[in-house]
Amino acid sequence: MAKDVEGPDGFQTRDYEDPPPTPFFDAEELTKWSLYRAVIAEFVATLLFLYVTVLTVIGYKIQSDTKAGGVDCGGVGILGIAWAFGGMIFILVYCTAGISGGHINPAVTFGLFLARKVSLIRAVLYMVAQCLGAICGVGFVKAFQSSHYVNYGGGANFLADGYNTGTGLAAEIIGTFVLVYTVFSATDPKRNARDSHVPVLAPLPIGFAVFMVHLATIPITGTGINPARSFGAAVIFNKSKPWDDHWIFWVGPFIGATIAAFYHQFVLRASGSKSLGSFRSAANV
Amino acid sequence: MSKEVSEEGRHGKDYVDPPPAPLLDMAELKLWSFYRAIIAEFIATLLFLYVTVATVIGHKNQTGPCGGVGLLGIAWAFGGMIFVLVYCTAGISGGHINPAVTFGLFLARKVSLPRAVAYMVAQCLGAICGVGLVKAFMMTPYKRLGGGANTVADGYSTGTALGAEIIGTFVLVYTVFSATDPKRSARDSHVPVLAPLPIGFAVFMVHLATIPITGTGINPARSFGAAVIYNNEKAWDDHWIFWVGPFVGALAAAAYHQYILRAAAIKALASFRSNPTN
Repeated sequence: MAKDVEGPDGFQTRDYEDPPPTPFFDAEELTKWSLYRAVIAEFVATLLFLYVTVLTVIGYKIQSDTKAGGVDCGGVGILGIAWAFGGMIFILVYCTAGISGGHINPAVTFGLFLARKVSLIRAVLYMVAQCLGAICGVGFVKAFQSSHYVNYGGGANFLADGYNTGTGLAAEIIGTFVLVYTVFSATDPKRNARDSHVPVLAPLPIGFAVFMVHLATIPITGTGINPARSFGAAVIFNKSKPWDDHWIFWVGPFIGATIAAFYHQFVLRASGSKSLGSFRSAANV
Repeated sequence: MSKEVSEEGRHGKDYVDPPPAPLLDMAELKLWSFYRAIIAEFIATLLFLYVTVATVIGHKNQTGPCGGVGLLGIAWAFGGMIFVLVYCTAGISGGHINPAVTFGLFLARKVSLPRAVAYMVAQCLGAICGVGLVKAFMMTPYKRLGGGANTVADGYSTGTALGAEIIGTFVLVYTVFSATDPKRSARDSHVPVLAPLPIGFAVFMVHLATIPITGTGINPARSFGAAVIYNNEKAWDDHWIFWVGPFVGALAAAAYHQYILRAAAIKALASFRSNPTN
């Protein structure tokens, strides 16, 4: 639980404070280099994320294709693909957490925007940078192995045979809920206070959340839970099947992020009922 | 962001970027810590190559297609060993274990030229000895199964391999810079948070992606050690890729981190400020 500290006049005070809601429009941040540095960092991080992960996917499919020189158990396996996604999120969030917050995912940006932790301007800029970075990352993979890339599905997300649209959508919603909920928990000031304000490698559970969801959802949709990832692959692969299913990979993640934001802010942190606490005389309660 | 401390109305950051390392630092040549660091880099690279190349040969020596540890296991061997060895040697030599990392840190003025050169030589020698141990222990399968050497795989062009090595090394060196950044340390309240783990994961990730293309170099000492002991024409023909690619990638990572993320050039113009700690 939160450590209560006896304040003056006998009132309890907590040793953490929730930051105030970020203003919707913060024109002042447009004048600072830190905003543009953050946008650049998101672009580069998403580029590297898509490059490594899609390259891993294509490499696995090449090496396990027994009709074209591959072997059974060739390649890193689907487990390796899940590790690639989760591991890359871990190291990239680690590298960019102090610069941009380490979102690398429009759904995470959207969830944090709903929770008033980023401004509208910043949220939009991040999402654009993430989508552009994703396109460039997959573009690198195609440039490096054009024929392999096209022959083996381009790393694109689409519904696998045997699953219907509702199942795909639900898988994306729940998968993104897991991820964004983990992000909220990892960045919660109350949890930070519980850890005595000592940093504990917060990017690691976020990376593991991505890893876990990929283990579960790769058979269904190849796992989106990141609209930029799905968008980048769809743009570069540019076939009708990925585009037909593409709406699932924006609607699902955004709904999942909304539910996670609501759950964390209103159920776990009870911020709705706290706003009714204005009758209390101590501002810190 | 960094925590700012208010002193007499002026804001100072609670971290200080270390001054650039002198290009030539003859004083450190007289210190035992310099030679201890070189020995540590040699031993670390030797162990790294021994474990990883033995894993590669063991996997290829399997009885059936599913008998070995798999490419995932090989990637884990590389990433896991870097994590373990960086953890062990970070406080002694900085835990480079990779000439590309040393080169990147040299460009960022974090190590001196004599130290950088000495580290690279030690790493290459350690790599040769490490692979030599593997060959001594499993002579016949070593020769028959490619010696763990890095070559461009069939179906991939030289340009693709070079590009893969550049981007792969960028990921690794960028992670190293982030892990060792004093600003990040201040953000973590100067409490250590297992910085070697993301570095090991970066190596693991790049191996997952790039093993099908080149067997993954991103470490010139690793490629050099295997090429020397295996001593095969194909390995030597492609060998330049595994020095040019990593060094270009390290340069790009150093420039990105120093000039974009840390805005070092802009800070150089800040000398007009009255507070030198800003």
